[in-house]
Amino acid sequence: MQIFNSIQALFYREYKITFNNFQDIFTILIFFILGILIFVFSIGPNKEIFNYISVGIIWTLLLLSTNLSIDKFYKRDFKDGNIFLLYISGLSFEMIVLIKIITMWIFFQLPFLLIIPIGGIILDINMDKIAINLYIFLIGSPILTSLASISGSMNLLNNKNFSISGIIIMIFSIPLIIFSVGIINATPDLVMPQLNILIGILMLFLAITPWISAACIKLSIRNS
Amino acid sequence: MLLANNLSFTRNNKYIFSGLDLSVSPNKIIHITGRNGIGKTTLIKILANMLVPNTGEIYWNGKNIKKNLKDFFNNLTYIMDIQSSKEEMSVLENAIYWKKLFSSKIQENELNTIFKLLSLNKYSKVSALSKGEIKKLELCRLVIEQKKFWLLDEPFSGLDKDSIALIKETFKNHIENNGMIIFSSHFNPEITNMNTINIENYANF
Repeated sequence: MQIFNSIQALFYREYKITFNNFQDIFTILIFFILGILIFVFSIGPNKEIFNYISVGIIWTLLLLSTNLSIDKFYKRDFKDGNIFLLYISGLSFEMIVLIKIITMWIFFQLPFLLIIPIGGIILDINMDKIAINLYIFLIGSPILTSLASISGSMNLLNNKNFSISGIIIMIFSIPLIIFSVGIINATPDLVMPQLNILIGILMLFLAITPWISAACIKLSIRNS
Repeated sequence: MLLANNLSFTRNNKYIFSGLDLSVSPNKIIHITGRNGIGKTTLIKILANMLVPNTGEIYWNGKNIKKNLKDFFNNLTYIMDIQSSKEEMSVLENAIYWKKLFSSKIQENELNTIFKLLSLNKYSKVSALSKGEIKKLELCRLVIEQKKFWLLDEPFSGLDKDSIALIKETFKNHIENNGMIIFSSHFNPEITNMNTINIENYANF
């Protein structure tokens, strides 16, 4: 019973912090839209080029936007000892990571469901492609959140080079980008195989992220 | 009952302290003292099972703490020397969070009484509180969690005279009700039945 109360408490806290700090999400969404506008202004009004690269632009900006939320994952909870308090309350580190991934996905990735169609309209992507992109985003975004979790927890062990966490996300998200963009531009017979691979990547990350992040958190507490 | 024997800890291959024995049983309070940087916080972290000592074992109710962790954590309130309340949340929201987290049965009217006693405005954001007020809020966890064993790191820092008197009174009530307390502080609250451990006696210079 206590474990359910602890889980509920963590959700309550994340909800309060996020909505009392709504400007954080807003900044990330503005970053996404501004990024699209910069691409539009730098490439110029060439419809043919945008037909090819627009979905790629959206995924690149989603990736960069995820980088902005890495710090919110564990750093503050680690510095103020809250991670250890959660551990004392009866939650294992793996469970803490899992709940954090779910809350971060809800509060920092789901708002993109509203903003991706706006980005799509700016880039003149047709409505069918936008709809498919949203479905793929629902599969791809937990992978991005998992990557941010791994990278954020690795950052706890690292006191000097914080930018390396962004690089970790970028390297490991290459397969995600390949298949997410690939599905939208694929011929109908190649959609399902690529979708299956994407779901496979999601399952893999959901399985390994709690262990990797928990190991990093445990190590950083021992070194504190 | 908590028992620790022959604890030692090294940092950067240098012993911070060694050969430290300590035990605390119901109705007892231990004050850990020593100059800055001597290892008081490190010792408290070891007792909370946050850090692993180089030598020595810690036992909780006769069992090694590693094998009895769940029971130990169920009885432990650990107040750190850092601010664990969230600045983005109000005083009341933080209290509700701790109440849920530790499955406390404390009622909202009891919380209101505590806030009144500590002169805390429950709707204030933590970011708007002074250092002393934040410390008072952290110490509210002692009453919210209602655990048997209190482990505190510098509980009196930043507190005014009235608050110190109130915390002293809370400590006395807790040990009278079979509670156990270990705290580190430069301030001596002069509570009867209090044992003092000067960590400088175990330090390796």
